[in-house]
Amino acid sequence: MVTGGTSLPSHGLLTEASNLVAGCDRCGNCLTVCPLFKVHDVERAGARGKNAIARALAEGGLEPLPEVRAAVDFCLLCRACVDSCPNHIPTDEAMVRVRQFFTDAAGGPSAKYTVLGGVLRSRMLVGLGAFALGIMRRLRLAGLLPTSLVAREFPRNAFLEALAGPAALGDPAPANTTTLKPGARVAYFQGCGMKLMFPDASQSTLKLLGKISPVMTKANFCCGLPHLAHGMGDTFLELAKANIALFEDADIVVTDCASCGGALKHLASQFEADAEWRDRATAFSSKVMDLTEYLVRAGYRSAEKQDTTFTFHDPCHLVRGQGIRSQPRQLLKAAGTFLEMKESDTCCGGAGTFHMDHPDAAKQILERKMENIERSGAAVVVTACPGCLVQLTRAAEASGKFKAMHISQVI
Amino acid sequence: MAGAIMPVTEIIDELRQIVGAEHVLDSEVDRFGYSYDSSFLPLVPAHKPDLVVRPRTTEEVSKVMAFANLHGIPVTPRGAASGRTGGSVPLKGGISLSMDRFTDILEIDESNMMVIVEPGVRTMDLHDACTARGLFYPPDPGSWKYCTIGGNVAENAGGMRAVKYGVTRDYVMGLKVVLADGSILNTGGKAIKNVTGYDLTSLFTGSEGTLGIVTQVLLRLIPLPKARGVIRIMFASMEDGCATVQRMLQEDIVPSVAEIMDEVSLQAVAKQSKMELPPNAKACVLIEVDGEDAASLESQSRRIEAVSSACGSLNFRVAQSKAEADELWAVRRGMSSAVASLAPNRLGEDISVPRGAFPEMVRRVRRIAEKYSLSIPVFGHAGDGNLHPSVLCDMNNPEEAERVHHAVDEIFEAALELGGTLTGEHGIGITKRPYLAKALGESGVSTLKAIKMSLDPKGILNPGKIW
Repeated sequence: MVTGGTSLPSHGLLTEASNLVAGCDRCGNCLTVCPLFKVHDVERAGARGKNAIARALAEGGLEPLPEVRAAVDFCLLCRACVDSCPNHIPTDEAMVRVRQFFTDAAGGPSAKYTVLGGVLRSRMLVGLGAFALGIMRRLRLAGLLPTSLVAREFPRNAFLEALAGPAALGDPAPANTTTLKPGARVAYFQGCGMKLMFPDASQSTLKLLGKISPVMTKANFCCGLPHLAHGMGDTFLELAKANIALFEDADIVVTDCASCGGALKHLASQFEADAEWRDRATAFSSKVMDLTEYLVRAGYRSAEKQDTTFTFHDPCHLVRGQGIRSQPRQLLKAAGTFLEMKESDTCCGGAGTFHMDHPDAAKQILERKMENIERSGAAVVVTACPGCLVQLTRAAEASGKFKAMHISQVI
Repeated sequence: MAGAIMPVTEIIDELRQIVGAEHVLDSEVDRFGYSYDSSFLPLVPAHKPDLVVRPRTTEEVSKVMAFANLHGIPVTPRGAASGRTGGSVPLKGGISLSMDRFTDILEIDESNMMVIVEPGVRTMDLHDACTARGLFYPPDPGSWKYCTIGGNVAENAGGMRAVKYGVTRDYVMGLKVVLADGSILNTGGKAIKNVTGYDLTSLFTGSEGTLGIVTQVLLRLIPLPKARGVIRIMFASMEDGCATVQRMLQEDIVPSVAEIMDEVSLQAVAKQSKMELPPNAKACVLIEVDGEDAASLESQSRRIEAVSSACGSLNFRVAQSKAEADELWAVRRGMSSAVASLAPNRLGEDISVPRGAFPEMVRRVRRIAEKYSLSIPVFGHAGDGNLHPSVLCDMNNPEEAERVHHAVDEIFEAALELGGTLTGEHGIGITKRPYLAKALGESGVSTLKAIKMSLDPKGILNPGKIW
């Protein structure tokens, strides 16, 4: 190993990251699918460049300079590269470790993430956020501003600031093999994004679930994904434990947020050193189902076919994080006319704070998404994640040719 | 900056005026990003260029070269950096001349069946654009999804279809080249018969970026075969697989692809793609046939089945759908990377021997692997004699590294003894330099050097490569 003259001493996280990408052959296959490389085609922007950076940091070939940190932050963690890589090199997992390395080296996450992480940590504060949003909606409003704008005010931005997107998706979660027994106790896991930004869609989800069986609602805690992404691993574990305990009496935990679902299905890997909680987390994760996954398993079909056309945007967390691709389409085909769009599983560019930190790149990615939606000819683009829905709402407003809806609102 | 007397900031200013400020990169992370390719050269210590320059037009390239030549600044052209021998690695620093903004297909001339393309176009994209017009650009290097035409020309890339359709050189009709001093040269043209002067098109094709910068390529095309089929045959030994391909060719069954892979390679890709292998399978031959119609495919397939069964095949599978064909193809396309992931280091070789010597070469590689206690999986283009032994190793282990060097030496010696050569399609680059004299002889090397001297007297173009 060659060690750089003034670099920090070799760091465990960098070694881990480097080992994760050690099988990268540098062939460049990933560059053809990386959404960021498509809009910014320099080597550091693509997955190959990021793998090389991880290795060079560990081997002392690159100093941990601010520009290196910026390159590592410039990643959607969308896993498009992992999927297309002949060796399935987990660039996203390596990037999360390198980010954690930089966070640790800087003495903790930045202040804004700490504050917002605290907001989402507290059930009460999230509740207040939603409450405040409700008041704003009632006050201002009575039609003065389009409803969609409301969600762009403080609570949404606050939420987005804290959410760093599809961090650490891990390999797709194993398909949920739970059989739906008659009398199974079904609970709804309401993610912060749904609660704060899309309460109407959240209500639709509850109605859908109620058509199948009685549904338990709980004052659940944040899934912890934002905390994990911003180097607040301890808080993540705390939240996970609280949720695991809270849902102990449920047989099925349904969520309508792809990001929450992805995170909740991968809890066990975060408890590697703690056998008791690892087992409890595994048991909990096996109960978690995405709304579309659950509805298809339960045999749900829309009562009548609407005279409208749908297309579906696959959230990174759903298609690559949970391996769910066919279920939403099946539901939409029963609810109306389904039109597939090109690149449906390409990241929309939201990715948590990414679109705030890199507005130009995010805008270009979203423009491409908008074109693909328009070309599909669909009147409504449907998705299953509040993070994506924010981006798609933005695209819908810019385009004027289609609407953006959560899947629970159209089936 | 190497060779330059001017301060770097002034050099940057000059270059920024030529290509635009944002197209000259000089940050540490960017310089690192353009220091590697897909060869087995270590990432660290990195061969960082001093600057990355990304021109968009022939005129810009011309100005950059004139400037670099004046100041003696090394220039290493780079396409997609997917090369296997270090061709685009800026060994002596200077400028990494990234040609990835040259992404236009300028003309598809259907009546002459030719295309004019810029070097930054991806090979597969070109193929697809031609296919849409019923035309066919056959060269398909394993990396065709992400490699670019400029690199294909510079390395004279081959591919799987070489057995029937030849290599990149067989399709290059003309080039626009910027020479070391910035002057612009046009070679060849659309006329099929053309003996006016030396064949400079062929000279620049495969020159590995050491003689000039290609900014436009004129390629000939052929009509697209109307039907294609994919067949996978499993064997209990590499001998049986090799014999099948030999017999097919002797019986005038010319497949468009005939790839062979040994047990270790198969297992590597099976592991990555979760593919199931028949028990006892120790070798696999992947064949593509093309022709006028389904009946033609069917008759070729029957004849291949007869030959392979006479050679002891275990399992014969014809893809029944496009999806199944893609699945069989994916096995071969993922091979190189899958094998590379088996060990900390993989020295991927690219020897090429006369077709008849292919089985003997496979045997010799196996003997060399045994002699030095190394794992050397083999896959390659059985139909054209181009073989990729991959020496799996850990080069951080000095004792093992020593054995690896001996093994590689002996592989090259064996290839030369059998009338073959060092590289079939990857080029010499950095990694095969030490063996060049043995392959070409003294006068061979001095002729190359004489050509280089006359076109690039200051030696600024891709210095440190080939010899």
